[in-house]
Amino acid sequence: MAGNAIVPLWRRWLKDNGRNLGLALALGLALLVLAVLSPKYMTFDNLVVVALQMAFIGIAALGTTHLVIGGNIDLSIGSLFALTAVCAAMLAKVSPPFVAILGAILLGSAIGLLNGALIWRVKLSPIIITLGSLAILRGVVLLLTGGYSVRGVPSLFGEIGQWRLVGLPLPVCTLLGLAAFAHFILTHTTLGRHLFAIGGNREACEAAGIPVRRLVLGSFLINGGIIGLSGALAASRFGSASPSFGIALELDAITAVLLGGVAFTGGEGNVLGVMLAVALLGVINSGIVSLGIDPNYAEVVKGATLIAAVTLNQLSHEAREQHRKRSAMRELL
Amino acid sequence: MKSMASDAAISIPAPARAALMRCVGISKFFGGVRALHRVSLDLFPGEIVALVGDNGAGKSTLVKILSGICQPDEGDLWFGEERPQRLTARQARKFGVETVYQHLSLCDNLGAAANVMLGQEPVRWQLGPLRILDEPRARTEAMRRIGEVGVVLEDLNAPVRRLSGGQRQAVAIARAMVNAHRLVMFDEPTAALGVKQTHATLELIRRVAQQGIAVVLISHNLDDVFAVSMRIVALRHGQVCLNVPTEKTSRATVVAAMTGVALEGRE
Ligand SMILES: Nc1ncnc2c1ncn2[C@@H]1O[C@H](COP(=O)(O)OP(=O)(O)OP(=O)(O)O)[C@@H](O)[C@H]1O
Ligand SMILES: [Mg+2]
Repeated sequence: MAGNAIVPLWRRWLKDNGRNLGLALALGLALLVLAVLSPKYMTFDNLVVVALQMAFIGIAALGTTHLVIGGNIDLSIGSLFALTAVCAAMLAKVSPPFVAILGAILLGSAIGLLNGALIWRVKLSPIIITLGSLAILRGVVLLLTGGYSVRGVPSLFGEIGQWRLVGLPLPVCTLLGLAAFAHFILTHTTLGRHLFAIGGNREACEAAGIPVRRLVLGSFLINGGIIGLSGALAASRFGSASPSFGIALELDAITAVLLGGVAFTGGEGNVLGVMLAVALLGVINSGIVSLGIDPNYAEVVKGATLIAAVTLNQLSHEAREQHRKRSAMRELL
Repeated sequence: MKSMASDAAISIPAPARAALMRCVGISKFFGGVRALHRVSLDLFPGEIVALVGDNGAGKSTLVKILSGICQPDEGDLWFGEERPQRLTARQARKFGVETVYQHLSLCDNLGAAANVMLGQEPVRWQLGPLRILDEPRARTEAMRRIGEVGVVLEDLNAPVRRLSGGQRQAVAIARAMVNAHRLVMFDEPTAALGVKQTHATLELIRRVAQQGIAVVLISHNLDDVFAVSMRIVALRHGQVCLNVPTEKTSRATVVAAMTGVALEGRE
């Protein structure tokens, strides 16, 4: 009797956590292969470099995660990343580092909010609107810089990006902190619950008196702010800001988010899955380089994982529908 | 246009009690479509009003207006002595008005407990805009509410898309009951239900009314309507064409009012 009860419980756990388990296994496997084939890869220093490469994508993926869970998306984050990085570098030349970072966060939030407000008002697909802002913002960056990197930031600003906390570079710590915070918000607060609910059924939320508009605009604002912060961190870390920063950042972020089990239609996903996906993609990417394989393969692998991720989502969705249909038919009989 | 007969049918003797909610001359247009035309209706505590009418008569629209989802283009709503300028879903909820919608507005991705408590999740503690969910309390509360509807769910956390039609209905009703202390509106609650669940739902509707809550029941099933309602209001082309106590009318009269056969016969 007791044994019978345990099996479904175990199955249910697998149903809810199967994807994360799969991602963790894939990550472990990738690391194992690299450890065997390339002894230099599994050193602390190299892993820190890999983590640093992932940090900016990871931070962007966190913003995208909560947007997509709420049924939205922002494609302009790559351009926004470049714009805020460039502005932070420019600001750093004329003001204290703290002001430069805050300025980038505020600029990012404002542009994010503007995107959100436009999407809300026009009631058009966020894909179309933010595709527009993706082009606009990149254009603004190029106009602002004349196509040249912003160099010569004061040394104090440049040092911040080099800071380490318990051996980890600041961008990595920021990613970990934000991930923990995002996880907490999504799983333990009414805010997170309502984001999931909006992604599931926006009308139901309106009927239930949830401030849907405030939440949707708020998530665009937060997303912009996060991108602004990571733009400033990048400018500080590299001691300069290039107008070509963040090209295809949105693709990397969305790939990780979908691979991490966030439903593109909204209402489903978890931070752990997204972080595992970010790590997996980062390891594959850097692994290809360190194994001496043509780095162009990394792009091919990235695209293939995106397709594999959405296919996986769709197949599991179909399986669920099938299940629902079967149980509905059982009820009728 | 109004004949003597239809006037007589509309003006019922006002009961001694004060109306809980009054609609006065409500009109609503969707583009060029007139969904409601000068609808006036009083709702009283403890009274079950059946709202009937053909498809597209405007029943769902009226319910949406009363629950603050839709704004009327014309007319006034009174909550007791109050007359809100623009009734929002939030205000309606605060006043104790709840609705079980025709196309169940459940979040398929959330569990039964989360759906039942949606928008009023119990909070453990609050830190600025961050409210920490009190999951155990939400679950016990949700379990109690769902139990009251007469359904037992084994897993309150499984997404409700895994539930059957009847179970989903129970979740939707349980949600409405969380906050309904003045008025509950059911938009075709039994349309997807089996015989047993229909019975349980009608029984629940009676129990709700006995607590002194006003009930509006939309149904195409005249058996259900005559079984539980105390007053029948028929809509046709967005207008009230019948408003009578249930015991003083017959199926034939109701059907005639809904389809307009009798009215046209008289004019
Ligand atoms: N959101 C909307 N946009 C446009 N027209 C609408 C909308 N909602 C309702 N209508 C129209 O208003 C009229 C009344 O619709 P309503 O849904 O209130 O009817 P109903 O009595 O509930 O019908 P049913 O029995 O089919 O549920 C219909 O002609 C419908 O097409
Ligand atoms: Mg309807």
